[in-house]
Amino acid sequence: MKPILRIQVNGRWREEAVADNTLLIDFLREQLQLTGTKQGCDGGECGACTVLVDGRPRLSCCAFAASFEGHHVETIESQWQDGQMSPLQQAFHEKLGAQCGYCTPGMIMAAEALLRTNAEPSEAEIRQALGGNLCRCTGYVKIIESVQAAAPGHRQTTGEPA
Amino acid sequence: MNTKPSKGVGQRMPLYDGVEKVTGRAKYTADLFPRDALVGRIYRSPLPHAELIEVDVSAARSLPGVVAVITGADCDIPYGILPIAQNEFPLARDRVRYFGEPVAAVAAVDEETAERALKLIRLHVRELPIIDSIAKARAPDAALLHDKKPGNIEREVHNEFGDTAAGFAAADLVREQTYHAAEVNHAQMEPHAAFAAWEPEREQLTLHTCSMVPYYVHKKVAQCLGIDTAQVRVIKPYVGGAFGARVETLNFEIIVSLLARAARGAVRMQLTREESMLTHRGRPESETRVKLGMTRDGRITACECEVVQRGGAYAGYGIITILYAGALLNGIYDVKNVKYDGYRVYTNTPPCGAMRGHGTVNTRVAFESLMTSMAAELDLDPIEVRRRNRIPGPSVTPNGLRVESYGLPQCLDKVEEASGWRQLRGKLPKWKGIGMACSHFVSGSAKPVHFTGEPHATIVLKLDFDGGISILSGAADVGQGSTTIVAQVVVEVLGVDWRRVRVITNDSAVTPKDNGSYSSRVTFMVGNATLDAAQKLKQVLVEAAARRLQVEPDQVECLGESFHVLGDPSRAVSFSDATAEALVDTGTLHVKGTFTCPIEFQGGKHRGGAVGSTMGFSYAAQVVEVSVDPVTCRVSVDKIWAALDCGFAINPLAVEGQIQGGVFMGMGQGLSEQTRYENGKMSAANFLDYGFPTMAETPPIEVFIVESIDPNGPFGAKEASEGPLAGFPAALADAVRDATGLEFHEWPLTPERIAKAMEAREREQRAAARKTVRQPATAGAA
Amino acid sequence: MQELDIVKPASVAEAVSLHGGAVGARYLAGGTDLVPNMRRGLQKSRKLVDITGIEELRQIAFENGALRIGAGVTLEALCASDLVRRHAPLLALAASQVAGPTHRAAATLGGNLMQDTRCYFYNQSDFWRTANEYCMKAEGTICRVAPSSSRCWASYCGDVAPAMLVLGAEVDISGPTGNRREPLAALYADDGLQHLKLGPGDLLVSVEVPAQSGWTAGYEKVRVRGTIDFPLAGIAVAIKREGNRIADLRVACTGVNAYPGLVPNLEAWRGKEPDEAFFAALEKAVRKEIQPMESTLTAAGYRKRVALGLARKLVGELFESAGA
Ligand SMILES: Cc1cc2nc3c(=O)[nH]c(=O)nc-3n(C[C@H](O)[C@H](O)[C@H](O)COP(=O)(O)OP(=O)(O)OC[C@H]3O[C@@H](n4cnc5c(N)ncnc54)[C@H](O)[C@@H]3O)c2cc1C
Ligand code: SF4
Ligand code: FES
Ligand code: FES
Repeated sequence: MKPILRIQVNGRWREEAVADNTLLIDFLREQLQLTGTKQGCDGGECGACTVLVDGRPRLSCCAFAASFEGHHVETIESQWQDGQMSPLQQAFHEKLGAQCGYCTPGMIMAAEALLRTNAEPSEAEIRQALGGNLCRCTGYVKIIESVQAAAPGHRQTTGEPA
Repeated sequence: MNTKPSKGVGQRMPLYDGVEKVTGRAKYTADLFPRDALVGRIYRSPLPHAELIEVDVSAARSLPGVVAVITGADCDIPYGILPIAQNEFPLARDRVRYFGEPVAAVAAVDEETAERALKLIRLHVRELPIIDSIAKARAPDAALLHDKKPGNIEREVHNEFGDTAAGFAAADLVREQTYHAAEVNHAQMEPHAAFAAWEPEREQLTLHTCSMVPYYVHKKVAQCLGIDTAQVRVIKPYVGGAFGARVETLNFEIIVSLLARAARGAVRMQLTREESMLTHRGRPESETRVKLGMTRDGRITACECEVVQRGGAYAGYGIITILYAGALLNGIYDVKNVKYDGYRVYTNTPPCGAMRGHGTVNTRVAFESLMTSMAAELDLDPIEVRRRNRIPGPSVTPNGLRVESYGLPQCLDKVEEASGWRQLRGKLPKWKGIGMACSHFVSGSAKPVHFTGEPHATIVLKLDFDGGISILSGAADVGQGSTTIVAQVVVEVLGVDWRRVRVITNDSAVTPKDNGSYSSRVTFMVGNATLDAAQKLKQVLVEAAARRLQVEPDQVECLGESFHVLGDPSRAVSFSDATAEALVDTGTLHVKGTFTCPIEFQGGKHRGGAVGSTMGFSYAAQVVEVSVDPVTCRVSVDKIWAALDCGFAINPLAVEGQIQGGVFMGMGQGLSEQTRYENGKMSAANFLDYGFPTMAETPPIEVFIVESIDPNGPFGAKEASEGPLAGFPAALADAVRDATGLEFHEWPLTPERIAKAMEAREREQRAAARKTVRQPATAGAA
Repeated sequence: MQELDIVKPASVAEAVSLHGGAVGARYLAGGTDLVPNMRRGLQKSRKLVDITGIEELRQIAFENGALRIGAGVTLEALCASDLVRRHAPLLALAASQVAGPTHRAAATLGGNLMQDTRCYFYNQSDFWRTANEYCMKAEGTICRVAPSSSRCWASYCGDVAPAMLVLGAEVDISGPTGNRREPLAALYADDGLQHLKLGPGDLLVSVEVPAQSGWTAGYEKVRVRGTIDFPLAGIAVAIKREGNRIADLRVACTGVNAYPGLVPNLEAWRGKEPDEAFFAALEKAVRKEIQPMESTLTAAGYRKRVALGLARKLVGELFESAGA
């Protein structure tokens, strides 16, 4: 019998039967069908699987779902709210922060974690905070520009929506 | 809808399918797996080279939960990308030739069962010598990987254009050097995945796969299953990068299809990162010997080049790769005398294939490096030397390639100025340096890999009662933005409101065949086919509007959402009315546009002369600034300036992204990337050890777009993605030389490699110092 | 992945009793070392005692001139802690160089100090290792790095341990056999198979570091890329200066042995000037201490070179800045 896990995912409390050896990423993708979160490597080396747990970034391929009883998980699917893209999504879209898009969900979630603690990160701070998220397409330049454009501090000073 | 005609091309546009990507709604192959599909897994050879005596799958087969097990015995039809070189079976038969080669496969009810079944498979083999290097493959008594391939040579190429002997005789300086480039892998972020569903009642197969060339996959899957292509449907969902990794049919795509049929159901297959890297098809390790003749003022008089590529175990794209390596010695500078000798060898390593800059990269790196080194010897500026060798105007290269538009000089100007080259070259403080190099690439192979007599590209526009325009495109968008390009072209020509347009891609049951996303052909060829289709549809609508307005078609002006009588805007019909009129008697409109490269662009007459042929080359120049840490010997790239002549930027935003991505991949190859083998076993098949660069060490990449307006490209456009890659490794080595005084002929420039060179120099200096100390004493004694 | 039983205790005592020293039981912290290893079949644990819910393991306090950091403090929290930055900035510096930022948000101090040793023949998939007929560290009998050797040479590659060592850290351990405190250095052994002297069920509770005051200290590691990568070699240095002389000096290395280790016998240089003879002797002492083997894709010779080079450079630079 699989134990019942009580976990909040994207703002919604769920009670799900989950085996203890289920990785968080498999729980999200297979059981909840939240396929926005991606698997890029065989464990811990690429950041494609990044989600937020209690607001901090987390590699969902290096954690067991069972560890998060009572915790709050956010995935890329949570970024779309009230029928709108989040500022980060808007910026990644408009500034071409995504080419093939495969690293994008993890990249946006890592960026979200950064922007929640730093409203106007410098380029160096962005490079530092997203250093664990690999992208093979963009050369990172437009990803950095996207994060800068989405930063609340930046949006305030320029009056741009994103 | 808009009243003014919409603009399509020349705009900085977000990707047409970008919203799906940033919201996580884009479905990649593995995101589409139904939960109840069987799990497919591959049993791979643990040996790099062995004769298969028996593949015992009996225990696996009888494990409860296992639905199907297949081996080489289930498919005796070989496959391969080139019709003349199909020597690979989806599952090995009789012999395995590389570590990781598929030998058997299982479909089971879940992951654990499939995993357990794999562990029950037993191999009985006779081990064979492991031929894992060029030297071993070419040794006189080497074991042969394939019958009828003496010397393990897959293909030799020899050609000479002009008179190289005379060219070298006319030179003031002749130099020769051998360069070595490690094997690299595409390392696209999405691991390979496929999902096949066999419908036993209909005897039809639907395959979802992450391909760049769904049409080849379609053909090869039908071929290996021994069924009619009509029984197969191939759908390409979103693809998480490809860079050439998916430009031929891959074994797992056939295996999952065979499994689905054997299991009479649906089978999902997700490869691990390690398996994806073992599937490989990357850029081969290569040894490149270049010899150049140069006049005192920097003009190249002759070029001789010998390339040896370690091709891996099977043919793959090998013949094309080794031809490309020679063909694109031409087409960038005005060199009249060119000799090329190429050898592609078979080895017990995973098959190489096409990777961004297919075949041309390591040759270009070697050529550029020698060119710069000779310029230094002649005390000439490397940028100036390139200017002196520019192609004067539209021309045909010695090997029969046509150059129509040529923006290399402008690229040089841009990067020279932006980087402050003149102030920095040779003048930076110790341990800092600046370097440069150029590169080019084709905008689509003018002759398709498979000759069928069909047009080289086809696009269909569907217009129906609703007034919606569906662009049916078979072009595989793998992140490069081809879907966006076709939409832009249609909107530009028709001027219609964007909301009227939808792009439907890559479902063989719906969209027209496309040759695939290889050789940077899509913007040029599919762009031109789209242009043709849009112009035809416009003509149909103009004629319909003319009927309604009761004027001649040439009296009608199209304003996108409406059609006016020329000079009398009050007499107009709306787009909907024009559509309604156009549909009278015919119903749903399917307007087809095509494009074919004219024969005169299809290359020289010599054997293999079609490779390298194209209607337009992109050109790139880049400058790279570095620092070298004297203790750790790590190179940091501080800044990159890259300029690309892409003819015309249909979407400047996307062009910038492609340049940055291409340069970045060149940077990885230059700095840190390489596959590794432990006694024939690929052993850096993960992102930690393979080590492509992270955001932390990737510098700002400033890009400049040069628009030479190609006479044949759609709106003047050429390719924009592969061209900028090859300059990087050479520019990097040049910069490191500027910083350290050390010249490198091997890539990647790992800290270890630089440390070795520094140590060697220190030893030499110490030895020299000892000599000078000792010499006076000896002199005194004498 | 093997079947698992995960339990999540709320206190140290509960954790120790749930573990109980049982065979196949293991503590789980951030999971950034353990889970990738489990996914490769390197750890066969059946029961994981998840210690991330234990509040007392997450405390950082400064008392009686010493900084006490709970084993469950994440490296991210450690880097951000004012107390750490004030009293032992070296630790934040070293921790900030561990893996990538997302790893550090989950990775704990305890997990970092207790991370497994690494080797090119070991950190491979099950498929690869089976094909290579395994090695002594997992399922096999011989060492692939040094086939004639009777031991395992896998290297310890944690970044924080050397920094802890030069600051003279002590650890508190709680286990089924009771509690104990000992120097961090005593926790490690020169053996790639068993590099930790921990009894079954022993839990690292906290680390205590005397305030860094008086010491000028630094840490540098070499890796191929700018982030994520483990150290090919890492050197931590703490130095005290009096006038033109070295008052005290400690150097520790990581990535170049099966354990993180202090370079011995540097006391001899107390009161001496750091002249060329000193630096030559320093290099000699480091050379004697380290033993990188061909256990990484990067050659051992390079790792040795940079370990020596970094030691020389760091000591020189820190001596200079200590005077300033
Ligand atoms: C791609 C990648 C790169 C990395 N790069 C680096 C690097 O550059 N530098 C570096 O130092 N590390 C690196 N790591 C390793 C790892 O991230 C760190 O060592 C991390 O600090 C481990 O902490 P954790 O909490 O995640 O440990 P876990 O994985 O949870 O545990 C590791 C081990 O410690 C044991 N353990 C944990 N806590 C305790 C405790 N309190 N008492 C007793 N035993 C305990 C566990 O049982 C387990 O055996 C890297 C990892 C990955 C995947
Ligand atoms: S050092 Fe030897 S025994 Fe240890 S992990 Fe490596 S190969 Fe195995
Ligand atoms: S999938 Fe690569 S780090 Fe999680
Ligand atoms: S956009 Fe393709 S991997 Fe980042």
